Amino acid sequence: MQEVKRKYVIPGDIVAEGNMRPLVNVFKNGNSIVATRIGITESNQDGAKVIPLSGIYFPRANDIVIGKILDHSSLSWSVDINSCFAAHLPAQDIFGRDFSPAHDDMGRQLSTGDVIVARIAIFDRTRDPILTIQDKDLGKIPTGELIKISPTRVPRLIGKRGSMIQTIEKASSTRITIGQNGIIVVSGKDKEGTTLAINAIHMVEVEAHTSNLTQRIKQLLNVPESEIESDAQTNDSNDTTINQDGINSNNNDKEMGMINSNGSK
Amino acid sequence: MSLSKKSTVIVENLRKKQMREAISAGKRLDERSLDEIRPIEIELDVIKKANGSAWVKLGNTEVVAGVKVETGEPFEGLENSGAMIITAEVLPIASPHIEPGPPDEETIELARVVDRGVRESEMLDLKKLVLVPGKIVYTIFVDCSVINVDGNLLDATSYAVVSALASCKLPVFEIKDDKVVDTGKTQEPPITTLPVSVTTVKIGDYLISDPTTEEEACMDARLTITTNSKGSIVAMQKGLKGSFSMEDVKSIADKAITKGEGIRGKLKGMINIG
Repeated sequence: MQEVKRKYVIPGDIVAEGNMRPLVNVFKNGNSIVATRIGITESNQDGAKVIPLSGIYFPRANDIVIGKILDHSSLSWSVDINSCFAAHLPAQDIFGRDFSPAHDDMGRQLSTGDVIVARIAIFDRTRDPILTIQDKDLGKIPTGELIKISPTRVPRLIGKRGSMIQTIEKASSTRITIGQNGIIVVSGKDKEGTTLAINAIHMVEVEAHTSNLTQRIKQLLNVPESEIESDAQTNDSNDTTINQDGINSNNNDKEMGMINSNGSK
Repeated sequence: MSLSKKSTVIVENLRKKQMREAISAGKRLDERSLDEIRPIEIELDVIKKANGSAWVKLGNTEVVAGVKVETGEPFEGLENSGAMIITAEVLPIASPHIEPGPPDEETIELARVVDRGVRESEMLDLKKLVLVPGKIVYTIFVDCSVINVDGNLLDATSYAVVSALASCKLPVFEIKDDKVVDTGKTQEPPITTLPVSVTTVKIGDYLISDPTTEEEACMDARLTITTNSKGSIVAMQKGLKGSFSMEDVKSIADKAITKGEGIRGKLKGMINIG
């Protein structure tokens, strides 16, 4: 296994020196790689990057997000996706190509305050992101408890190949929908399970950067001792690779998107 | 908050449902009980060039108030009283929903309600702030800036104004050869009472004290009651379309008096006055 070096940095700190490739949240200055965000560095053979510890959600095409409907014009809904960009959901996405503002009542489909899970269809940084709900498991979320966490904690909450979120879902008998923008909806049959899942999610948010988190989460969720021990071997690798999900790789995102929308892979 | 304007903060329908369920079970989304006030933090003399200042944090709502004392002409009809002007503004950094520009209705209401509480309680004995009757009086400006919005600006701003006024030091002015001279000395302000405002809102059939932004976005009606040190009601302001029954008003008034007493004790301790 390749060696991963980590340290905490603030913007302007040197992440690594030498002939390395700058990945995300860093820039190259001469022979050194310099951080642009507060976070943990990770440098290996592929290059050097910073995994941010705080920050807002920056939209990317194909991300699955949870948004709230703010209002609608005659052609689209405007959706708050917890970002500096306001997203738009075109009316044609729901009514089809023969949509007519005169005949179709947009307010009956989605009204102010409704919560939707959607995919970012188009985003190129120059215009506001366009959403779509034309996919499996996308659309309006009718029930559930809504919570917000920092978008930088989302990769840790999902875990390596969805391991963390699956552990929480299984132990609390809930279904958890995660948006890349830090909005989460927890739906469960009973109040106890939902509360347990919410507590676990908050624990991940607060302790995302610490080691052995998976083990502590399992203790919180009362996962039997035998399972904790059998998983202990993989915990370390989980913790060191947690944030690999956070890098800007499209393949990874698609995989995570499916985990989010299905609740399981 | 006017009758016509809808809150700019939109709360998700799921969250509203969560809130209603929690409230009907006697608890709020932030784990507080229905009449529990968020923790209050006060720091005095945060602005060195002001005659008095206070920073107040009520939960996540933060307000800074500054007192500046000058001399000027009295208001018409109040020739034998000092002048006091309380203003408030909500800075754009305080919330994503606030835009720069002239104050909106809510901000004007904020300044007026806070001003009314302080003025009607006669917290400052303005009659003692006269230099030349009918001509020159002390003019006290209290300017408030809300620097973070998380609901209940009325109470947070009121506590900031009261703390700043109670802890300020008035410069001693004298009249020499018909001119006002600053002697360079300071004096204690003529404080007679400590007004405390308590805001209660109605969500569905339940009464909730000290609402957060989310709760304010779901409220039907709002009632702010200010009491003085004797526990008498000195000012009131009702907001929004919703209505209160007679029992509601009585219970809100009782709460304003009992909760107000507790808050007054805290303010006294923090400001260090008897």
